[in-house]
Parts: sequence; C-alpha cells; structure tokens
Amino acid sequence: MTNPTNLQTLNRLTASIENLRDGPHAARPVVTEIRPTKGLFDLELEGLWPYRELLGVLVKRDIQILYRQAALGIAWAILQPAFSVLIFAIIFGHFAKMPSDGIPYPIFAFAGVLPWTYFAEALRRSSNGLVAEAELIRKVYFPRLLVPVAGIIAPALDFFVGLVILLGLMLVYGVMPTWNLLAVVPLLALAGFQALAIGLWLGPINVRFRDIKYTLPFLIQIWMYASPIVYPLSLIPKEWHWLYSLNPMVGVIEGFRWAIAGGTFNVLPLLISVAVGSVLIVGGLVFFKHMERTFADVI
Amino acid sequence: MTKNLAISAKGLGKRYRLGSSLSGHDSLRDLIQAGARSLFRQPAKDPKPRAEFWALDDVSFDIERGENVGIIGLNGAGKSTLLKILSRIVTPTEGTARIEGRLGALLEVGTGFHHELTGRENVYLYGAILGMSRQEVDRKFDAIVEFSEIADFIDTPVKRYSSGMYVRLAFSVAAHLEPDILLLDEVLAVGDFTFQRKCMDFAHALERKGATILFVSHNMFSIKSMCQRVIYLKKGKVVYDGPTDEGLKVYESDCRLAAAPWFYPDAGGKRVSITDIALRDSSGQDRSVFDFGEQMTIQVQINALDEIEDPNVIISITREDEVHCGSFSSSMEGLKIDRMSGVGTIELTTPPLKLVSDKYTISVVVRERGFEKMLSAQIGTSFHVKHDFLSETAFGVFYEPASWRIAEMETRSKQA
Repeated sequence: MTNPTNLQTLNRLTASIENLRDGPHAARPVVTEIRPTKGLFDLELEGLWPYRELLGVLVKRDIQILYRQAALGIAWAILQPAFSVLIFAIIFGHFAKMPSDGIPYPIFAFAGVLPWTYFAEALRRSSNGLVAEAELIRKVYFPRLLVPVAGIIAPALDFFVGLVILLGLMLVYGVMPTWNLLAVVPLLALAGFQALAIGLWLGPINVRFRDIKYTLPFLIQIWMYASPIVYPLSLIPKEWHWLYSLNPMVGVIEGFRWAIAGGTFNVLPLLISVAVGSVLIVGGLVFFKHMERTFADVI
Repeated sequence: MTKNLAISAKGLGKRYRLGSSLSGHDSLRDLIQAGARSLFRQPAKDPKPRAEFWALDDVSFDIERGENVGIIGLNGAGKSTLLKILSRIVTPTEGTARIEGRLGALLEVGTGFHHELTGRENVYLYGAILGMSRQEVDRKFDAIVEFSEIADFIDTPVKRYSSGMYVRLAFSVAAHLEPDILLLDEVLAVGDFTFQRKCMDFAHALERKGATILFVSHNMFSIKSMCQRVIYLKKGKVVYDGPTDEGLKVYESDCRLAAAPWFYPDAGGKRVSITDIALRDSSGQDRSVFDFGEQMTIQVQINALDEIEDPNVIISITREDEVHCGSFSSSMEGLKIDRMSGVGTIELTTPPLKLVSDKYTISVVVRERGFEKMLSAQIGTSFHVKHDFLSETAFGVFYEPASWRIAEMETRSKQA
C-alpha cells in the first residue's frame, strides 16, 4: 500500500461501509434453501413477494426506455392505433360498408383496436422478454416470472393514452360515455391476464427455440382477424358464438365495445374468456416453473 | 458453542448433457423432422446414450459465519458452477444448500445496466436487481456516486460512458450491497489495476465487518492473502478442504505439470519426458510468489528413455494473458551436454526477474541438436511476480529503470 490513492480509496470504502452498516436488513436473518425441483405444482409463488419492488423497477425501466430518443415520444402511443383505425375506417367502414352495431365505425374500430394493441404488445413482451433479458438471467438470480409479468404491465401506459384519445373521438362523434366506462379497467386486466397466460407458454419455448420470435408476428396478425375488431360479433351466426368465443379475446373486445358505446351486454363470450384464460394460466405457471430451472443453462 | 453456519451444502451435484443442451434438437425444425421420422420409421438406431457430465458431483461443505474460503481448481473443475448454484442462477440436479444471511454475488458487474438509461436510473435499476430496496438505494446513493468518481456524468445515459466509467459505477452499486455473504468470482478482477485494487479493498473491508466470503480465483497470491481455508475442486469433486497453505500445496503439486496442447512429437523423435518442474528461491525453498527483481531457480527433471545427442532444454515464461515474455536455451547459454540418457535434473537460475506484477507459467521444451527436433514439451508450474504498482496495463512486459536528463528546457517553465 505505498500508493496514496489506494490508501485513500480503502479508507473511503471502509468509511462508507461502516456508515452503512446499520441497514434495516441487519436484523433480518435471510435463509435461502437451494434444492432441485420438487413436484409439478411446486410453484414457489410465495418467493415472489420479496421481489415486488424489482417488478416495479423493471416496469419503470420498460416505460422509461419506451420512447426515449424517439423524436415524437409518447405521441407514438397515439399514432399507432390511430393509423390502424384510420385505415380500417376507410377500407372496412367506408368502402366495404361493414356493419358496426349502430356505432359510428371509427369509434367501433377504435374500441376494438385499443384493447387489441395492448394485448398484442403485452403478448409480444411476455413471450420475448426472457430472451431479451438473457444477460440478466445468466448472471443474476431473481424469480424469472417477473419478466413476463412486467411485460404485461408496461404497455398499459400506451393503453391509457389511447383511451384519452378515444374519449375525445367519442365527443366528436357525439357518443356520450356512461358509467359502463368503468368496466374498462377490469377488461384491461383480463386482456393482460390472457397475454400472460399465453406468454407463460411461449416465453419458455422461445428460450429453447427462437422460432417463436419469428412466428409471433404472424400469430398476432391472424389472431387479430380471428377477433371481432374490424367486424362485429353479430356477424357470426349465433349458434357458433360459443366456438368463436373460445378465442379469449372475443369476450374482452366485446366487453370493451359495451363499456365504450353501450348496447347489449354479451355475457357468454366473457365467461368463456375467463374460463379459457384460467386454464391457460394455471397450465402456463406449471410449465413456466418447470422450464425456469433450466433457463440459465440453455438461454 | 453452537455452530453459526452461513452456508451449508449437502451433496450438491449439477449434471449437464453434452452437445446440445436439452433435447438434442437445435431448432423446432429439427424437432419436427425428428418427430416425423420416428413416425414413419421404427426408432432408427437406438439414439446413442447422450453424453452427460457432472460439472459438480456430491459437493458438501459447511462454512461458518465470518469465514473466508477460497475455491480453487483448474478451469472446468466446477468452481463457477458452484457459485452459480449458490447464487441461485442455476438449479442443482441433486443435493441441497442452505444459506443464512443476505447473499451478494459479484460474478459479473453491470449486467443489469440498461444502456439507454442514465447513470442515476441505472443505479436504482441495478440496485433493485441485486436485491436492494428503494429506500436503501436512496440512502446509499451519494456514497455510491462518490465512490464511483463519476458524479459529473450521473445524468448521462450509460451508453455514452467509457467502459471504465461503466464498470466503476456498476461496481460501486455492487460494493454498497453490503452482503452478509459475498460470492466473488475472479472474472471480476479484470479491468485496470486500480479497479482490481478496489475489488480487493472492498473484499477486505467487508471481511473486517465479519462478512463471509467465498472467493474463486486462479491467483494463489490473492487466495493466500484473503482466505484461511480453501476448497479444492477437481472434476466437480472436493479433493481438499482445509487450511489454505496445505491446500495450495496439494493444488500446486497437482497442476505442476500439464501436457502442452500444441505439442506433437516430431517424427523419428526419441522418447523423452519431462517428469518434474520445480521453482525455488535463492535459499532453495519451494516458492510460487517471487518479488520483483528476485532471482528464481528452475529445476527440470528429464527422463530420457532413448539417448539424446546434444540436447537443448528451452525454458519459456508465458504471462497469464498468453504473452510470451521470454525464453532461455541451455545450448545458446553455453550448457554443453554431448549425450543424455536416463533421469537427470537440469537447473537454471534466472537473472533478477524484472517482469511486471502478474501470473506467469513456465513451459519446458526439449530439442535435439540445437533447435532441430522437438522431443518433449510440458507446461509447468505457475508463479507470481509481486510488486505494488508495476501492472501489465501500465508497464507492459518488463520494467528496467532508465536514465533521464533534461536536454532542453525554457527558463520560464523552470521557474513555474
């Protein structure tokens, strides 16, 4: 230790560590058990709680970097769905004269595009998140489940920005919001739940087979046309509604239209959506947990 | 007195499958193809039992609170796997471990940084990833920034940082985690010399605070200075667990000789083998750490099964980063041997070692008739040169003081 800088460094470091010693965790004995995977339903969900703060930080990070260094910034949250709605309104509303249950077509389309855009982004993030965080997963421990969960939370910001625009558009078209609008929040949660349910399956497969990354855009596009976004559910023959509603997004989008523009409330698609989502998410959790153990080895 | 255990590992094992990591199929296409094939054909050939290997095999140990333990072993002995299991990054195939206390693993700093975020934002992000609460980071923020010495850039996106700044900030966050148990991997000790010093100082400061440290290193000098106990892993198994001095002896005698990967005996060469390479100081003691400027004696034991004519023994010194620093040749330096057979020992005393502070490896090559035929080659033991500030980043390969004088200087600056 002849070098004065080293001594300085050491003293400073020692001092800073001494100052910090009285941290709140000093009294809290943390015990960690490490063992191989036990049973199929050994989900260790209780282990998530201490990491709730990290979840918040991951979401915050995703939002912080979302539009950074994009000149238009948060305006993209509006522009993306707005352009889709514009195109749908021209092609399906104006030229194809698509029925829209008596709602002005732009409002009709917007009410479908908005939850769909959220769902698509949430699905994309929860499926690709693990691969995107590969560096972290190889080097640091944290419950991997946080990654898809953070993936469905961050895009909600865009959703709410879009919702404000939709409300403005409703005023333009003279569609008055009602108390139904409050249903938007649980419906958004249901859309996120569906995205997570699928993401829990696709994420771990993506870790193993990057093919998912390339398949996902197609899947999302096909799925969009299989959902009542540019056309109403009433276009589907009634006796097939149950089959059509196996697509869990049918219930979400139909519920959304009801929340925005009223009309008849279709309870069947919503119930089917909740049921399908619940089955997928339970299976997804088991699958994810089973695969999680090997992420660091294969990613 | 009841034992106050920090880490207790019982029968830890980690199996890896060789080749492709999970199912042997690299993409979905392969999997589908294989699936389709097995539909039409009966399982063609019994797929050969996939090669497995145990990176860690039945590893058990108890570490008491406040103990500093070095984990040593050759590359691939399972050291990193062990740290990864203890830090919960990978799951063991077998066995359990119990860890009491907050664990900090510095296996690689800065992996949690996001390059689009500013230094400030990254401090919070990385802190949370390492397990600090927001209040904790708030409380330590100033100390972290001060320690990193980059206060001026704290609101700049880290993508505009130099790599040195990046590492300093990341390390400062990690250093303030203040864990009860620290897993420290040697890979951390890359980077410039000051940074390495900071790492070591940090570990020492923690040690004084009673933290338990698990330290993986190839640097026997650091192990000796930090750890009272070593666990020596060999092919995934614990072969020694006990006091450092004895452990290092076992380790060093084990890795004294290793086959030189680049050596292929020349055709028609005679059978010669190098059976031992020993390093001693001027008083004849076995040593692995030498001071800068000290002389080293290298003894090479050679077993010539065939008679060699005019043997030339070449001893080379290679630095850890594969820089070949120099060689000595017995025939060039005037050791004349006409013939050699049977077992014999040749001794070389080096000039004062003017190499910079680092780890070096000795390799020995035996040639016949000057530089004609290469008969045998062996990678031998390693040694460290110790010096307080002569690091390879600043001083290159060797240091020899030069003579300076002022050739010309304006009077103005002289007065200033």
